[in-house]
Amino acid sequence: MMPLNFAILKLFTNGQEACPDNVIDALRPVYGDFKALNKADVLTALMTAESNGLLEESRFELDESGDVRVFFRANADGIATINKYIR
Amino acid sequence: MAQATGAPSQAAIAAKQRLAESFRRRGIVTAILSGVTYGNYTAFMTLAMSVGIWAGWYGENSGFTPFAVAFMLSALGAALTDTFSAVWALLIAAWKGKLGDFGRSFKTRPGAILACAALIGGPFASTAYVIGLQQAGSIVVPISALCPAIGAILARILFKQPLTPRMMLGIVICFGASALIGMSSMGGTEAHPNMMVGLLFGFGAALGWGIEGCVGGYASSMIDPEVSIAIREVTNGLSNLIIMVPVLAMIGGADGFAVIGKALGDFESLKFFIVGGFACYWGFMLWYKGNAMCGAALGMACNGMFSFWGPFFCWIWIGLVFGIDGWNMPPVAWAAAVLMIVGIFTIATNPLAFFTKKKEG
Repeated sequence: MMPLNFAILKLFTNGQEACPDNVIDALRPVYGDFKALNKADVLTALMTAESNGLLEESRFELDESGDVRVFFRANADGIATINKYIR
Repeated sequence: MAQATGAPSQAAIAAKQRLAESFRRRGIVTAILSGVTYGNYTAFMTLAMSVGIWAGWYGENSGFTPFAVAFMLSALGAALTDTFSAVWALLIAAWKGKLGDFGRSFKTRPGAILACAALIGGPFASTAYVIGLQQAGSIVVPISALCPAIGAILARILFKQPLTPRMMLGIVICFGASALIGMSSMGGTEAHPNMMVGLLFGFGAALGWGIEGCVGGYASSMIDPEVSIAIREVTNGLSNLIIMVPVLAMIGGADGFAVIGKALGDFESLKFFIVGGFACYWGFMLWYKGNAMCGAALGMACNGMFSFWGPFFCWIWIGLVFGIDGWNMPPVAWAAAVLMIVGIFTIATNPLAFFTKKKEG
């Protein structure tokens, strides 16, 4: 089992995009009891990774409740960097 | 995972802009708060080192050699604050359910890099700073304030973070302001026989803090900042307490472990170390988090206001609350604080864009 933030980043090394809800759904089976596996904390982790060039925004839309839903993905450089540091 | 759809609506674009602005604002506030809490940490550590058993140790009949007083006691003060900060970090991590991630992260590559950065920014830089002050005097204070510039340059080289001429100008303004406070509060630049050696150590301290700021910030984009800071404080607390203090004590002809034992048994100073450790936890956690959220250049410049917050909270806590003389704020510090805000504003925003926006409105 790897730290939660590592697992969040590692999820993007398949090259596909994901929003915070997708990340929570994908990690719930293993990290379901982690307090930090919530929408606000996951979004902050993703936006911080974006600020540091690990991820990039792929698109955004409004969800059913009118909140913005941002999708992120890792480009080739981002995937290489994540795989370099997180094994 | 979701698939791409058509162009976003105007409402979605507006909501996305609000989210981006809120994240940036939170990053800047986080980095500024790191300087505020760092100022409190400085004040309480200074207070702790001036009461109880410490008053005697720094007195005329301490029984220590001048070397032990200058180096061992400085290292011991930092070690106790870092150790209590580590205890706070572990307690907060446990409360937030992140203690497991602390153990897991320590064994990883980013965790090891973070621990190395902590050693460089902790025992190495702090000791270099004290040696610099001893050898070259107050000129070392502004030299050490170069750390945001060094951090920003390293982040540009190592992590390809943006560094424009405007951002560099803002860093220079912040550096000038820190230099102003440092020079005024410590009595100007007097001649010292080992000036060059001292300057070299002062630059070493700036380099160490610059490395820690940019590496710690980047590592906190992979490791949760609350876990990062637990790694930092445990590494620093233990290395200072078990290695640094005993080694410096041995060189200074003292029994390091006996001195540590006496310090831990002195409740009068210990309560202030415990409070200082709490402020230290927040100071460094918010520093890492702020640097990760808004980049090393802006994050470290915002944090750099600690050169104002340090004397400010020493004045508030030691001078006003505890009534100890000699902690008044130098008047120039207030002017320097305004200058720092101008510097931070210059790094964070393009003034020309601000005027263009006004015109458009």
